[in-house]
Amino acid sequence: MREEAIRVWAFALRNLLMASRNIFFLFELTFWPMVGVLSIGLMTRFLRLSPDEASFVLIGTMALSTVQVCQLDVSYAVLYDVWSKSMKHQFLAPIAVRHLTVGSWLVGMARGLVVFTLLAALAWWAFGFNPLATGPGRLALFLLGCFLTAWIVGVLVCALVMLFGTRAEASAWAAVNLVLVLAGIYYPISVLPGPVAGIAQAIPLTYFLDMFRSHFGFASEFATPLAWGFGLSAAYIGFSHWALGAAINRTRRTGLLLRMSE
Amino acid sequence: MLAIEAHDLEKTFRSGCLRRRETRALRGVSLSIPRGAIFGVLGPNGAGKTTLLSILATLLLPDRGRATILGHDLRQEPGAIRRRLNMASGNASFLWSLRVEEILAFYGRLYGLSGRALQSRVDELVAVCELTTHRRVQYNELSTGLKQRLALAKSLVNRPELLFLDEPTLGLDPAVSVRVRAQIAALRHDRGTTIVLTTHYMREAEELCDEIAFIKGGRILALGTADDLKRRIRVGDVIALRVDAAGAATLAAHPGVLRSVTEDGWVELTVDSAEKRLGELLQRLHESGAVVRDVQIREPQLEDVFVELAR
Repeated sequence: MREEAIRVWAFALRNLLMASRNIFFLFELTFWPMVGVLSIGLMTRFLRLSPDEASFVLIGTMALSTVQVCQLDVSYAVLYDVWSKSMKHQFLAPIAVRHLTVGSWLVGMARGLVVFTLLAALAWWAFGFNPLATGPGRLALFLLGCFLTAWIVGVLVCALVMLFGTRAEASAWAAVNLVLVLAGIYYPISVLPGPVAGIAQAIPLTYFLDMFRSHFGFASEFATPLAWGFGLSAAYIGFSHWALGAAINRTRRTGLLLRMSE
Repeated sequence: MLAIEAHDLEKTFRSGCLRRRETRALRGVSLSIPRGAIFGVLGPNGAGKTTLLSILATLLLPDRGRATILGHDLRQEPGAIRRRLNMASGNASFLWSLRVEEILAFYGRLYGLSGRALQSRVDELVAVCELTTHRRVQYNELSTGLKQRLALAKSLVNRPELLFLDEPTLGLDPAVSVRVRAQIAALRHDRGTTIVLTTHYMREAEELCDEIAFIKGGRILALGTADDLKRRIRVGDVIALRVDAAGAATLAAHPGVLRSVTEDGWVELTVDSAEKRLGELLQRLHESGAVVRDVQIREPQLEDVFVELAR
């Protein structure tokens, strides 16, 4: 158990050190999320949306940034090694997929929390929207839902990178946007066309957004959103980790693991 | 006790979607390496050396064949094997922003080290690999030699019983190479570490290795000690003559001369038998009026064996 924790901590600390030494990561954490909240918030004023409607859209914007920052950290678990061509060293060590993903997810959650706090303060100051009004329990569940979604997407991105190498790098930035569009980031999923709405119902974040927004005056579209959200998350976490494990095994078969280290 | 026992290892790499291309990297490699030995794998570029090392180090899965590493089956127990081995390569690379000590600590944690044990291991490795003054330098600011030493330090972080070194002195200056070779020899001497190394430097292989495998086209062509190989792969004796160019020109065509190389006023002739040919060659030079200033006869080098086998 102790060794498990040490290996997880190894990846967490590595991500933390890398993030602390790169100015780009600071932009990732502050600039883009704040620009997002400011521009969307100003748009809600221009369109004269009601406070409830404005909060609906702002929750989506904040979720987008929180999930994105956390997911990127999970994806960096593999991307750092691809970029530095050091992939083979970590897979030469007796590690499992869970050490890699949990370690980077812990840092992702910490960074996601920083982003959410910044955006909440900004939204409250600039637009009078207080996401803390739901109470700590509901907020914590919403954030946990965001982080779980980020974990799943991040691990799937890692699997894609292991399968296709640097060609799949773009998925680290693209995948989460697709998921958020489907999960009803700025709209209820009932406005999506039939089959797409069906896909949206298979995304855990859909349910966590629904649960959180129900506190701001929007009737919930689902009877038990939390049960669905956590149930789907558990299934996808299992699947994504299996997929990453299978992708790593494939790289050992095809030699991609070595080619990514040259 | 054997550290490695491999039978009929085969590996083919496939690439391309529409026009499939196959590269047979290993074609039935079998070898046994006793514990505590230094085993050299030599061969030309693309011979399959790195593929063989990578399979034995669990980084690659073989298509066919089986291997037992430190008593564990390669396919069934890769986790148990990974705890006990490590690897360093000449072109190793690490995370650019991390400092030397952070890189060592990161890999130390992957092997379950923490707290004081980790700190003292990092301190020890930094000292042994002469990285003390660079321990707080980021990886991307290190010179090639320092990167190489860091790679070696990283490969020792778990005190491996089996160590794979893929061209450990590649690109190092001679002074550093000598120190790295001394470290490799000390590892076996002090800790009984089994070492498998690939190198393009024949002197390195001759100096360090108990046994050498020559590999080409994915097959082991010869296996034995350096002296064995020199005896078995009969490449002939070498007669070196310091003679003027005009005299040298006639020697290559003399019966029994297998190879002739002229360099810095010396003509190196690889002959079937020095005892038999020396007199004939000197007679020929005398008849042509050439002046012989010096004569040396030497044993064939491992490099001669390499050239012969790689042909």
